[in-house]
Parts: sequence; C-alpha cells; structure tokens
Amino acid sequence: MVMSFFSKRESGLDHIVARAVGMLGDARHSFDLATLALLTNTDTAAVEADIRATDERINNMEQQLRAELVVHVTVQGSTDIGSVLGMILLLKKIERIGDQATNVLDLAESGVRLAGEPDTEAMLAERGLISTMFGEAADLLYEPDVERTEEFTERVLAVIAEHRAKIESYLHSDRPGREVVPRAIYYRYLKRIVANLLGIVRTAAEPLPAANGPDDKDD
Amino acid sequence: MPTWFRSVLVFSLIYTFLVGVSALEKGIKIMGEDTQEALFSSVSNPIAGLCVGILGTVLVQSSSASTSVIVGLVATGGISVEAAVPMIMGANIGTTVTNTLVSLGHVRQSSEFKRAFAAATVHDFFNVMAVALLLPLELLTGVVSKTATWISDRLVGTAGTEWKSPVKAWVKKPVEWIVDVWEAVGLNGNVLGTTVVLTGLVIVLLSLTFITKNMRELVADRVEKSVNKVLGKGSGSVAMLLGLVITIAVQSSSITTSILIPLAAAGVLSLRNAYPVTLGANVGTTITALLAALAASVPEALTVGLAHTVFNVLGIALLYVPRFIRYVPVRLAEGLGEVAFSRPAWAVIYVMTAFIVLPLIGVGLFG
Repeated sequence: MVMSFFSKRESGLDHIVARAVGMLGDARHSFDLATLALLTNTDTAAVEADIRATDERINNMEQQLRAELVVHVTVQGSTDIGSVLGMILLLKKIERIGDQATNVLDLAESGVRLAGEPDTEAMLAERGLISTMFGEAADLLYEPDVERTEEFTERVLAVIAEHRAKIESYLHSDRPGREVVPRAIYYRYLKRIVANLLGIVRTAAEPLPAANGPDDKDD
Repeated sequence: MPTWFRSVLVFSLIYTFLVGVSALEKGIKIMGEDTQEALFSSVSNPIAGLCVGILGTVLVQSSSASTSVIVGLVATGGISVEAAVPMIMGANIGTTVTNTLVSLGHVRQSSEFKRAFAAATVHDFFNVMAVALLLPLELLTGVVSKTATWISDRLVGTAGTEWKSPVKAWVKKPVEWIVDVWEAVGLNGNVLGTTVVLTGLVIVLLSLTFITKNMRELVADRVEKSVNKVLGKGSGSVAMLLGLVITIAVQSSSITTSILIPLAAAGVLSLRNAYPVTLGANVGTTITALLAALAASVPEALTVGLAHTVFNVLGIALLYVPRFIRYVPVRLAEGLGEVAFSRPAWAVIYVMTAFIVLPLIGVGLFG
C-alpha cells in the first residue's frame, strides 16, 4: 500500500473518470435487470438482490469518489475546480440512475407486469435502445467528443420529447387506470434516466453549463 | 514547468539550502567564542531551550528550518548536543501551529471547525505528551542524545573529531563568496559574523520554501493517491508510513498535516485515520535536519539531526504502540474541539497561549 506512492497508475481526475465509467456500467446492469423484470415474465425475486446490491455499490462508490474529489482539491489546489464540480454533479446523476432503476424494480415488485401486452415489444425495443445509450454515454465520458456529444444530445432530446408526449397521452387517456398509470410512471422513470444520461455526457464535455440542462427540471 | 526542469531546480535548491546551513556555521565561527558564549548561554537551561525551539519554529512556521538552524549552531560548537535536544523537542511542538492556524480558517462553519480543530490539535497533544514524557527522561538518562550519539558514532565517527563531509567541500566555495562579499563592503568581526548568519538564515528559509513548493508540485499526484489510500482501508501503520513518505517528499510536515485539515473538516477523513499520518509526518520532517547535517563539519551536527528522528520514533513507540494510551491525544483533541465548537474564541486563546505566551514565560523564567 505504501508502495502506491511510487506506482505510476493513473491518478487524480483520470482515475475518478475511470471509476465513474465503472459506476455507469453498474447502473446499466441495474437498468437492464429492472426493466427485464417489468417487461418480461422474469421472477422479480431472482433479480432483486442483484439490483439492490448494485445500487448500494453505486452509492458507496459515489461517496468514495466524492471524498477523493475533496482530496484532489485539497492536494492540487483549485486549478481544475470546474472539472471537480462537474464531476460531483456527474457522479450524482449516475447515482440517481441507480435509484431510478431500483424504482423500476419497485414498480415490478408492486405487482405491475407489462409482459405480453400489445406494446411490450415496442417497450422492449426502446429498453434496448436506452441500454445502448448507457454504453455511448460511458464512451463519451471516457473520451469527450464535441461532434458525438451533439449528435447524442439530439437523439436523447428526441427520446425525451417522445417520452413526455407518451406520459401526456397516458395522463389524458380514457383507458383504465390499471393500464395507463403503470405506463405513465414507467415512462417518467425512463425519461429521467435518459435525461440523466444526457446530463452525464454534457457535464463530461462542459462541466458547468450542463448544470442547467433539461435533466434537472424533473428531479 | 517541465518535470525535468523542476527536478533540476529542486536539486539546485537543496544545494542552496546546504550553502545556507554552512553559512550559518561560518558566521557564528566568525563571531568568536566570547560572543558565542553570550549568545547561547540563555538556552543552556532545557526549559528555556524548549521554549526557544517553540518560539523560533512558530516564527519561521517550519520545524525543518528551525531544526536546520539548530544543526548549524551545534556544528559551530556554540551549543552542545544535550542543550540542542530540548530545542529540537520545542521545534516539534512549534511546527504544529501551522495546521492549527489552518483549522481556524473553518471557524465560520461550526461543525466543520470542530472536526478541523480536533484534527489539528491532535498533533499538538501528541507532541506535548511526547515532550512531557521524553524531556524528563532525556534529562535523567540522556536517552535521546545517547541513542543519537551511538548511531552517529557508527555512521561518521566519534564526537570531537573533524568529519570530512563531501557536501561540506561542495558548499565551501559559495560560503567563502558570501563572506568575501560582506568583507568587501567593509564588514568585520561580530558585524560580519552576524551578517553572514543572517544571510545564511535567509538562504535556508527561502530555499526550504521553494523546495517545498516545487516538491509539492512534483509529487502532488502521488500525494493524492496516498491520501486516498488513507481514506480507504489503510491500517494505522500504513497511514503512518504514508505520512512519512509524503513528508520526506515535500520536505515539510506542515504541508502533510495541513492537507489533512480540510479533509477532516469535510468529514471525509476521521480523526483516528488522520492521527497516524500526523505521526508519520513527525518522523518524515526530521530528514531536513539530517540533510542539513551533511553540510556541517562535525559529527555532533548529525547527532542532533538523528536526535530529532530518535525523539519522534521514541514518541511513537511510547505513545502510539501501546494500545491503552494510543488514542489519548485523539480524545484530548476531540475534547478541545468541543470547547472550540461551543466557544470559538477559546481556540484563538489556546493558540496564543500554547505557542506564544507560555513559551515567552518559559524563556523569561528560565532563560
């Protein structure tokens, strides 16, 4: 352990970004399992322990990395304070995605099942699309790229608008509450998750202006 | 600034620092034995020596600087090793003022201040307890000075002999230039000696300041990694070793301990985790006096440098190794933190009393 002082492994913000990418991977894992529990006939009990343990791991990692950011500022001074503040915001967004994935699990545990419904296939396809966005966000977090970020932002904003429209339509639908309420809640979680992914990518590209991104409006 | 350039700069600054220490020794030698006698008779009393060590270190805010000066004084023969040991102990106490002052910066956030002040004063309590235990032992048995002398004898030879330090030869010329410059402007005798001493002091203080600044830049990433290890699952001994390594690298225990204060204030580092790092820093900072001894011409200079190390190692052996006493300084610091939390003015009174008023009284009574 003392030899770590002499080792050359990555340090500072690079190290924290690498760990944040790992957290995002965990968040994706939780999202995949939770949506699988809601949209298919997967036994919720089979995935519950995994999702809650992953959420706890994400929360612990957020605490640890925030402490490491305090160390970073204390040791290195305030030269990269903008990046540090952005990173704190970014870690919080990943932590929220972990919570929102757990919320989807809670929905499934409350007895809601969206498997075998006419719109299940479309929802599963959308789930796959969002899961892919986790991977893209991780890439952009690791290696920020202005063009890719803009292109990603456009797609995410379109998905958010689509989700917002769906939520609106469910809220004003004449269909029975047991059909539309779970869907409205589910899409609200999805919208938040996608908005947080956008927030992560924007914060990675530009640490402070992203604080007023669309993702903060609903949280 | 490129790393290679900064590294070269640090080596040049270390050389300049050694020139400064050697200039101190030279200046005092120029003054003559009568003046030396008059100057140093006041610190022959151990309590006065202890208090001078505290005041001198508080004044320059660096035990590395004050102990290097003490090494320089011993090298001249003006002060014996036995008289220098209490001063070294005082320097150990005096250096804690820096992080205590840093903790006062958190005074507006009361809960943060409580943690910060406790983290700062745990260093004070440990050092005061170490002195309370080891100074009487030193006066009765000479445990610190005898151990240091024993090690020094084996490294460079017996006291009273001329030690052919290679570094001394390297710094001889620049010191002669300093003396020549002041002689050229017409100074001689005690005035010349005093001026050379002051020049040496300025060189020591400036070079140490820049060494610390540049080393901090050079090893910042490594320090960050090491502190993160302490935040994690590091044991007390690992934290202590990291404190030692960081302090040797940055050449300042104040830098190491002052880094801990904002972390303790923010609640990311517990007092019990910060405490062993502080103890490691105590030992690590002794490297500077050992370095200074390289520029001296007598084994006694190295003995004093080693006495600093021995004192801190013995302090850890007596106050940290036994479990029943290990966390006494932590509990005392927590208690003082509570007092400072409820009445912040007491924190200021504490700093003034412990680091200025009491040492001044000590010098007045025993000097």
